[in-house]
Amino acid sequence: MTAFGEKPSTLVEVKDLKKWYPIHKTFLDRVLAGSQNYVRAVDGISLSIRRGEVFGLAGESGSGKTTTGRLIVRLEDPTSGEILFDGRDLATLSAEDMRKERRRMQVIFQDPMACLNPRMSLGQAIGHGLRIHYPAQADSHREQIMEIMEKVGLYPARYFFNKFPHQISGGQRQRVVIARALITRPELVLADEPIAMADVSVRAQLLALMNDLRDEFNLTYLFITHDLATAKYICDRIGILYLGKMVETAPIQTLYAKPLHPYTQALLAAVPVPNPHERRTTPLPEGEIPNPIDPPSGCRFHPRCPIAQAICSEEEPPLREIQKDHLAACHFAEQFR
Amino acid sequence: MSDKNPEGSLEVPQWQLDLDQVGFVRRIFLARRWYGGDWWFVAVSAVLLLFIIIVGIFPQWFAPHDPRAEVGPSLLAPGEPPAEYVLVAPVESAVTGIREVATSSNRIGFVIGSPASQALREVTDRITEEDQAAGLDVRYQPRPVRFELLEEGLEATLTGDVSAFVVEPEIFEAVASDYPELEVASLLRPAGDAGFVLGTNQIGQDILSRIIWGTRIAIIVGLSSAVFAVLLGVPLGLISGFIGGWLDRVLTLLMDSLYSFPGLILAISIAAVLGPGIGNIIVAIAVLYVPTYFRIVRGQTLAVKQELYVEAARSLGAKAWSVLWEYIFPNVIPSVVIIFSVNVADAILTEAGLSFLGLGLPPDTPDWGIDLARGQDYLRRAWWLITFPGAMVSVVTLAFSMLGESLSEILNPRLSEL
Amino acid sequence: MDAHTLLQVRDLHVAYRTRLGHVSAIDGISFDVKKGEILGLVGESGCGKSTLGKALLRMLPTSARIEGEITYEGGTNLLELEQHALRDFRGRRASMMFQDPMTSLNPVQRVDEHILEAIEVHEPETPKEAALERARTLIERLGIQAQRLRAYPHQLSGGMRQRIMIGLGLVLNANLIIADEATTSLDVIVEAKLLDQLREVREEFGLAMIVITHNIALVAELADRVAVMYAGRIAELGSVYEVFDHPRHPYTQGLLKSVPNIKLDETEELYKMPGEPPNLTHPPSGCRFHPRCPMVMPICKEREPTMVEAKPGHDVHCWLFAEDALKDQASGKVAS
Repeated sequence: MTAFGEKPSTLVEVKDLKKWYPIHKTFLDRVLAGSQNYVRAVDGISLSIRRGEVFGLAGESGSGKTTTGRLIVRLEDPTSGEILFDGRDLATLSAEDMRKERRRMQVIFQDPMACLNPRMSLGQAIGHGLRIHYPAQADSHREQIMEIMEKVGLYPARYFFNKFPHQISGGQRQRVVIARALITRPELVLADEPIAMADVSVRAQLLALMNDLRDEFNLTYLFITHDLATAKYICDRIGILYLGKMVETAPIQTLYAKPLHPYTQALLAAVPVPNPHERRTTPLPEGEIPNPIDPPSGCRFHPRCPIAQAICSEEEPPLREIQKDHLAACHFAEQFR
Repeated sequence: MSDKNPEGSLEVPQWQLDLDQVGFVRRIFLARRWYGGDWWFVAVSAVLLLFIIIVGIFPQWFAPHDPRAEVGPSLLAPGEPPAEYVLVAPVESAVTGIREVATSSNRIGFVIGSPASQALREVTDRITEEDQAAGLDVRYQPRPVRFELLEEGLEATLTGDVSAFVVEPEIFEAVASDYPELEVASLLRPAGDAGFVLGTNQIGQDILSRIIWGTRIAIIVGLSSAVFAVLLGVPLGLISGFIGGWLDRVLTLLMDSLYSFPGLILAISIAAVLGPGIGNIIVAIAVLYVPTYFRIVRGQTLAVKQELYVEAARSLGAKAWSVLWEYIFPNVIPSVVIIFSVNVADAILTEAGLSFLGLGLPPDTPDWGIDLARGQDYLRRAWWLITFPGAMVSVVTLAFSMLGESLSEILNPRLSEL
Repeated sequence: MDAHTLLQVRDLHVAYRTRLGHVSAIDGISFDVKKGEILGLVGESGCGKSTLGKALLRMLPTSARIEGEITYEGGTNLLELEQHALRDFRGRRASMMFQDPMTSLNPVQRVDEHILEAIEVHEPETPKEAALERARTLIERLGIQAQRLRAYPHQLSGGMRQRIMIGLGLVLNANLIIADEATTSLDVIVEAKLLDQLREVREEFGLAMIVITHNIALVAELADRVAVMYAGRIAELGSVYEVFDHPRHPYTQGLLKSVPNIKLDETEELYKMPGEPPNLTHPPSGCRFHPRCPMVMPICKEREPTMVEAKPGHDVHCWLFAEDALKDQASGKVAS
């Protein structure tokens, strides 16, 4: 907290985060296998998220973006590394304190049908956060629930209050999930591919809703997506992940206009454009995403990189600032400035 | 509550709003479309079960007779009225009534295995009672003599070996010409005007009444044992699945070993150890089913634990108990309900089996299993002794199983269709 | 039917009976597929595109009622074919690629066994060595190393599996490939590579393709002609340039404005189309898009619009373009 009681501008600080999943889980498996191997889902990621911004984490499968998000909201525990939320390392909290702290960080999941309890009415589901964290004000709960339901567009709230998830449409379900996440007025919202399962014509509505609510509720979003076109519309800053590492991060316009990392360049070029006059002509990187159990040495992208040199297979490039506020993990990023 | 209609809000289609106005009864009929072809299945099983339960609770309304009373001649076929019996005696003995030949010094003959003995006994008891009531000190107790064949008996009557012979008039008429010295001396017992709908058993008890009263035992034992099994098995399964660890392993081991016993043998052992009595039967059968509930509930708990909405609850900050009660339990209950109905069906069968073997219930209890046991030997002569109790067991078991099937459809509708 | 047309669909209707009621999944669709062209079929959930894909190969469940006409190369109506003729059609003339190749490939069969089986079923007279050789050349042409022939499906990546699916279509010299959301589960770069592959395959073998997807950008990248579907009907059909440059149906217009475009420099507001795709057990009356249409007219609620040729080769299903019909209606002449 600064002297004037303002909240510090960095909400989340992540330092060298790692999450390795052991392959041989039981003692016997390990003995039989001889050695232990790990799936290195997240392998040393550092980032910081400023208050009030929409920070995007983008990447393909195996990049570790979903795992990173889950680690930040402590749905899982990291293997090593530090996560500071509002200046505090959450690993130091007791289980009970952590539970209470969850009020400040909520999640919007990808699949609205799967993340809603099929036997709980919508009103109950949305109000669950209130019941947990503000049990004393039970009288005002119903009103608060109605209010937020109308805010997310479930109008008339009276109608939806007693419905069950299977009785409403997919777009409405995602609104319920958003309402549930926001009712406790969190500070950080992890949005894990929130519109991926919604219909195309409905996505714009949901994105606009999330934007409006961000202003109204002073939210900070961690927006995880594989869809770079969508990320461009909603994110303020973005980090590109590849095989458990962050390869580039920058404000959104800068990154899309001038990507400095070859992987980012390839990724952006590969995104299909809804304009037949702008079909892709650039070549694509060779090969496929390697196995996260045994990643390539040095720079993980080097086997597929069009500008790879000898040093790339030997030395892993650090994530460094190439231009103001624009970091990239490539030995030769300067040439793209 | 604000009245504003925010931009981008959704119009609730009119047909959805209309559906909400519709009353409950109407909704059941509308739901008919929703259940599709299964609707009649649900309806039939529900009606059947309701009827069975009412019969079980109020058997006295339905049973025409006291199930333990000997209300008729033994082994009377279904619907057949009791036959007329006459006394056949030599012409010269000038017997005119039963009283003349019914003293203890008399011998009266009949064909073995026929209801004649029953008729004789019935009449002699009646006249004893009547005369004693009138103040006479007599006792009518002729000595019965059984003959393999009708001819033997009639011969014996001729020779005076027996004072009289009891037989149906038609049977005697058929051979009367061969025995000109014998005549129908008097009527022993007139034909009854009505028989018993399902006949009588070897003691003369009305079978219909017995199976109606048997419903009560079946329902009591079936439902109670199922309820006990649920009360024990479900919480154990929930906790074991939720907490995991060594507790889970120990309980699973215990339950699996119980489960691997063949059901009836386990029930027999427990009943034998606990001793007779309806309470002990209930306990024995309940123990039999606890492992089933445990396994199913534990499996479901483990599956539901992995679901995204449980993780979502955790991310909201819900406490473990809240997750178990609000998220896992409601999603596990549907499978319990289905198992419950099948469980009751099976419990009724097991109970019938146990009492068939003579374990648990007092011997003359009106119970299907007991009746089945008693009627075994009479399969050829009097098929109705085991057919009807057996049919009842099947019907009630079927009704509960049908209920289980239809519940399965209702509680777990296929959500994949729109 | 002219010599360039490979597949002709006329007035196709598909309906299901579900426990929630009668669902008309496809409600009178007609279109052509020319030889060697890529037709993109784009639409959201419930528009009937997957049903259409399956209907073309008659792979719908028996509870579905299909009516209409599907003619292949001027032959008999596919809907009336006998089982054995149908089997010949499927696999030999037309083949399908599904969204998740993991479930459409047999997990206990190796890749070469898959291909050999296909050859054996349709061309049993082929000797085994010749068939193996075909399989090998095919795999290599698709960019997969020959030793992968002995691999099981789970040992291959998603992109490779999809290429095997293309291969299964090619090995029998099929003329038509129907790709039903074939790239939906793939990563962006793999998807782009698969698109390249499909283009190459079309160049080299002259295959026609029907690409079914909800991703309108994909269609822009790949297709020659586009059919935009909505709620079981075709809203608009035309060449890809026509439809994207001059979309005529309000749904197409709205859709194009609501889809994020990575190349656009200014972050314009995306168009928020009101409402949601309809529930097909209770579809809206008349034109099914009317509850969401910014240009709705009274007639739209009452009657389904007829197909109008707004420009040669560009068909629209919308009352806005059926001026003659409107005039006739206004003057009380024509009933329908």
